Amino acid sequence: MITERTLPYWLLAPSLVFLIALFAYPFADAFFIAFRADGQWTFDNFRTMVDDINFGLSLWNTMLLVLIVVPLQIAIALTMAMMLTKIRAGRDLVLYVWTIPLGISDLAAGVVWLALLSERGYINTVLSALGIVDGPALWLSYETPVALFIAVILAEVWRATAIVMVILVAGVQLIPKEYNEAAEIFGASAWQRFVKITLPLLKPSLQTALILRTLLAFEVFAVVVALGGRDLPVLMGEAFLWQFDYRDSGVASAYAVLILLISIAFTLVYLRVLRVKEEAE
Amino acid sequence: MAAGIYVDKVRKVFGTFEALKSVSLDVQPEEFTVLLGPSGCGKTTLLRIIAGLETETSGELRIGDKRVNGLPPRNRNIAMVFQNYAVFPHLTIFENIAFGLRMKKLLNSEIEPRVKKAAGMMHIEHLLDRYSAQLSGGQRQRVAVARALAMEPEVLLMDEPLSNLDALLRLEMRAELKGLLAESRTTTIYVTHDQVEAMSLADRIAVMHGGHIIQYDRPIEVYQNPANAFCGGFIGNPPMNFLQAERENGHCRIAGAALPGPSASQGNGRVTLGIRPEDVLVAETAASEHLTGRVTVVEPLGPHNLLTLAVDQQLFRVTTAADSPIKSGQEVYLALAPERRRWFDTESGKALH
Amino acid sequence: MTALTKDNLPEKPGLADRLLPRWSVGQWLFAAICLILCLWVLLPIYLLVLSAFSPRDAVFAWPKAFLPLDLSTDTIAFFFGVRGVLAAFFNSVMVAVLTMVISIGLGAPAGYALARFRFRGKDSFRLMIVMTRAFPIAILALPLTVTFIKVGLYDTVFGVALVHSALALPFAVLISSSLFMGIPFELEEAAWTMGCTRFQAFMRVVMPIATPGLAAAAIFAFVISWNEVFAATILTLQHPTLTAFLLTTLAESPLYFRFAGGFFLVVPALIFIFAVRKYLFSMWGIANR
Repeated sequence: MITERTLPYWLLAPSLVFLIALFAYPFADAFFIAFRADGQWTFDNFRTMVDDINFGLSLWNTMLLVLIVVPLQIAIALTMAMMLTKIRAGRDLVLYVWTIPLGISDLAAGVVWLALLSERGYINTVLSALGIVDGPALWLSYETPVALFIAVILAEVWRATAIVMVILVAGVQLIPKEYNEAAEIFGASAWQRFVKITLPLLKPSLQTALILRTLLAFEVFAVVVALGGRDLPVLMGEAFLWQFDYRDSGVASAYAVLILLISIAFTLVYLRVLRVKEEAE
Repeated sequence: MAAGIYVDKVRKVFGTFEALKSVSLDVQPEEFTVLLGPSGCGKTTLLRIIAGLETETSGELRIGDKRVNGLPPRNRNIAMVFQNYAVFPHLTIFENIAFGLRMKKLLNSEIEPRVKKAAGMMHIEHLLDRYSAQLSGGQRQRVAVARALAMEPEVLLMDEPLSNLDALLRLEMRAELKGLLAESRTTTIYVTHDQVEAMSLADRIAVMHGGHIIQYDRPIEVYQNPANAFCGGFIGNPPMNFLQAERENGHCRIAGAALPGPSASQGNGRVTLGIRPEDVLVAETAASEHLTGRVTVVEPLGPHNLLTLAVDQQLFRVTTAADSPIKSGQEVYLALAPERRRWFDTESGKALH
Repeated sequence: MTALTKDNLPEKPGLADRLLPRWSVGQWLFAAICLILCLWVLLPIYLLVLSAFSPRDAVFAWPKAFLPLDLSTDTIAFFFGVRGVLAAFFNSVMVAVLTMVISIGLGAPAGYALARFRFRGKDSFRLMIVMTRAFPIAILALPLTVTFIKVGLYDTVFGVALVHSALALPFAVLISSSLFMGIPFELEEAAWTMGCTRFQAFMRVVMPIATPGLAAAAIFAFVISWNEVFAATILTLQHPTLTAFLLTTLAESPLYFRFAGGFFLVVPALIFIFAVRKYLFSMWGIANR
């Protein structure tokens, strides 16, 4: 019966059922697939995963990417958010331009940077005009792992800084301007106001942005494939390979479980380190 | 210690809107000046220009002997209390009050007694370890004032500091502020739209309207001799009554009576008579110089009754004793105290003498 | 693009007739950084578009021209001529539209319930919605491949749309709940007192106000689906979406083909972000918590 009391449950039911079918069930199933082989509970899939020669490299590459890309994005996004508080004329246009990458997929971002960084690409044209390289140079091959790695960083920073910026701009807008004015009256310089007022008050948004961005960064995949094919192994790429090419769902699911565990671990660390204290309004 | 404030022909334009039109003001050292006016009159803009939070379009500003145009707020030796208090939510109350002192790089041994003293003045010593979210509105208000007092500034600026408090608390804080600021002898500029607050606190009131200062004088002067009809209508509750009068050979005809007109600018034409409700006596019998009116509404307010009348089809308010027998619909006669009658030019609104 | 800072905004028209704004060094620096950050976003997109609209042999040109002097639809025409591209493009559109319909159709009622009712389990439901964003796509898509093969959804447009809807649904719930919260309940109550049923009040009063916001949420769902690569690739074989098709053919396809493909991935992004720009912040403002 639909009554005033049961109505909200009727409204929720469809999405609840949907989420159970497409989140909860596959989630449980993933563990089932990862920890079972030949009808038994086993660590075999994880053993296969760890023994694979690309495992260590993919774990290392993913971690390094996260550790470089995320802080870089936070710094750039913070700069953008602070600049936006100062701009008056043209603010909406600048904001629109800076949010464009929000709608660009990782695959598309990879292709965009491929166009720039290919052998006879635009960046080489500029570098050669500046006399840094002579003629077309290869950047995106297994022979130039550092350059390939930097290319992935560039593409990731280019694509996914916008989401951090949007979260931070939303956070900055929630800070009443009186706090900054009061600090100004009581003698704080622009830098002191940023460090002592804006940053602490922005902590909840910073926390959200860090968690979200880190989780997504652990799933880096299509950018890497578009730029380097299989020359730069990452965790998600290995999961894809085991599923799509080797047709081994067990090992692929083991990778998925690993990514989830690392994500949870990082989230807990952030929550602990960036505790948002009770007193914050 | 306390410095004067000199504002000379300051203008402020936002885009195409002229918020301040050549405003001049000089506040004596230790004086308490209230900027009073309706919203949008430019009073907060003027305060923020003095604070250095807005930049004036033109004009000169001095605090004490120092020209402060272009100086950032921190170099003006001022303190400010904000309308929404702006008590930092991420700092304890102690650190909030100490904020400005830390910015001055004072030693801890100097900061602590000053914070304690300011907190003591505002009776919030017991709240020093708490955070803003744990405080009531009234307590936050006290923190905001203590934070300003701890600076021992040359000039104290207050932007509608009581407007977010409920009525009873506002009354209490008003009296407390008055005592406290009289004692500290700091030059103060206080912005409000509440004329009672202005009357109660100010040494001098600057009445602002449409980007101008219309009158800058002692409260009693502003009340009794408004510089124009706007001042008379804005200050006082209920406000001053205005009646259109026809001038005729030195006398003015209103509602069946002929009153002696203003001495200045003899001639014919229209003038406006202003009289405060408490300066009118209601009689039930006619006499010379009495105006005739019909009572439309009687509102018993406790200490007195407020009568609304139609005098010559114009709105008129009078207060009478609470036990007055006058009823709605009754015809009455109004005696206007001769020394309290004020005349205004109908066109410009300016006072005539 | 000019960026005027707070301090140099022309204060009155009379002063604006100066030819160049007399900016301080700091202000010039500020404007320069602003411009660089804008170019940082725009230049790569411009160069991709330029590549997509150059003749095919332009990929081998050296040095590269930065100006659009040799425009041609040769590459684009080639792109659509490749077997499977048109079908993949069409699949992508189908999947994205289905995702839009499913996620808003299921999510908006839930958002309304969160916005208007107090009930047991509300906070748990909200928490669950927020938590779903922490799930790596791999942990959903991999097991679903197995399930979908069993139930016959593998390699179908509908199957991919289901997974994409699972990704978009949490956003749809959070965005619509914030939308409905922004519409005063009194408006609905007023409609009730004037003889509307609960449903009529919703349709006649709430929906007209909420429609633009819901449209933005739908567009957002469309973009989530249009951009998704991983699930779309492992859940399809003969009927890939555009992203899946591009990803699986990356290794053996010529550069100009990839550039044309990239162009068609980027263009919807430009249009959609422009369409929803007003709602970006309200979306994230609420989705943040």
